Amino acid sequence: MKIYFKDITKSYDGTPVLDHVNFSIDTGSDARDILLRGPSGIGKTTLLRIIAGLEKADSGSVEISMGEAAHGGSGLKVGMVFQENRLLEHMSSVANVSLVDTSVSEQRARKALGEILPPEALDKPVSELSGGMKRRVAIVRAMLPFSDILVMDEPFTGLDAETRERVIDYIMRNKGRRPLIIASHEVEGLPKMRELVLEQKQL
Amino acid sequence: MREQRRKGPEGSIKKIGIILFWILVWQLLSMTIHNSILLAGPVEAVIALKHMILTREYWDAIMFSLFRIIGGFFFGSTLGIILAWLSYRVSLVEDILRPFISVVKAVPVASFVIILLIWAGNRILSFYISALVVLPLLYINTLGGLKATDIKLLEMAEVFRIPMLRQLRHIYLPSVYPYLHSAFQTALGMAWKSGVAAEVIGQPLGSMGNGLYQSKIYLETADLFAWTITIVVVSFLVEKLFLKIAGYSIGRMKRSLIL
Repeated sequence: MKIYFKDITKSYDGTPVLDHVNFSIDTGSDARDILLRGPSGIGKTTLLRIIAGLEKADSGSVEISMGEAAHGGSGLKVGMVFQENRLLEHMSSVANVSLVDTSVSEQRARKALGEILPPEALDKPVSELSGGMKRRVAIVRAMLPFSDILVMDEPFTGLDAETRERVIDYIMRNKGRRPLIIASHEVEGLPKMRELVLEQKQL
Repeated sequence: MREQRRKGPEGSIKKIGIILFWILVWQLLSMTIHNSILLAGPVEAVIALKHMILTREYWDAIMFSLFRIIGGFFFGSTLGIILAWLSYRVSLVEDILRPFISVVKAVPVASFVIILLIWAGNRILSFYISALVVLPLLYINTLGGLKATDIKLLEMAEVFRIPMLRQLRHIYLPSVYPYLHSAFQTALGMAWKSGVAAEVIGQPLGSMGNGLYQSKIYLETADLFAWTITIVVVSFLVEKLFLKIAGYSIGRMKRSLIL
């Protein structure tokens, strides 16, 4: 499968944020993962939100394989780590992970969470977990269900170096052939990826 | 600094003491006026209540009003919640309903009673009136709760394609619940007051409102107070029971949501 992001533009209140962004992903290629870089406020999050179908591009399209242009929303099934955790705080980590996909059994959710979280953190309400633990729950929630593509917005926020290493290892082992688009300032420990650099538009 | 409110047995004793104080004031007033038509005392009211309790008509009247008012309460609540959901999903529905809700809120209950007396007769009047009073309250509060739902969680649900029923249970309900709780508390009391008032105006035979009215016609002030006590007690018990059941169900649901 090939995914083409063609001439994506987006502006807010007349201020351009994304200006004719072009890139493609070949899921069969080894270079399918992308590291999205650029200074803060350049539009990385906006681009990820367009890929996830949460925002519409002003122009441009996302085309999958041989066609099917989808202006703005891509129609892709996306596993996403948002900039914030967006967890249901009153529910346990296991319940948060199972919630997004009924096909994810409790046992599978426990096993996956157990890889990067201490066992005592699995059944507590998320509100009682530390920021770093919550982040890891959000990552497992994105990874576990079926998806065409993984999109992560600053996934390592709040993680110390050692935990980040474990989390990167978890992501790379479990992502399979799904392309991963990751926006992160913290690149240490990440395997080599194709880079897409967003730059300030010259006004 | 204000004295902290006491809870537990000490608080209960204080509460009972306050109630006894006001009953004593009532008794002293009635003794001073010394005219049971103008103001029957608590002893006379209790004696009248005792006589009424032993009659079948008394219990039939309670059942008559109870079923209609509670029925109207549930009907109005359900309709209010459904309409709020529709308004939340389709803004045109909200625009269309806005004038209707404003009118229902602003028009005095007595006007509705007269209109409904003409349209529907008096037998089921209290049902419609309770429903009409409850509907805007539940509509406005539910819509408020839905609009206050965390947009970030809704986006998360959209990305992960969480089915609507799951969204309702896990995302919307926790947000709407505090709004619903306060709306139900107010709505129950209002349903009772307006329902009985409608019965007093509409005079359906064998209702609590009818009993209240008959007492007034025959200047049986003690009976009037006895009916009033009955209405207050039944309303109080229904409210406590309903909120207990609602609290229990929500508590169970919350526990089931954690895991």
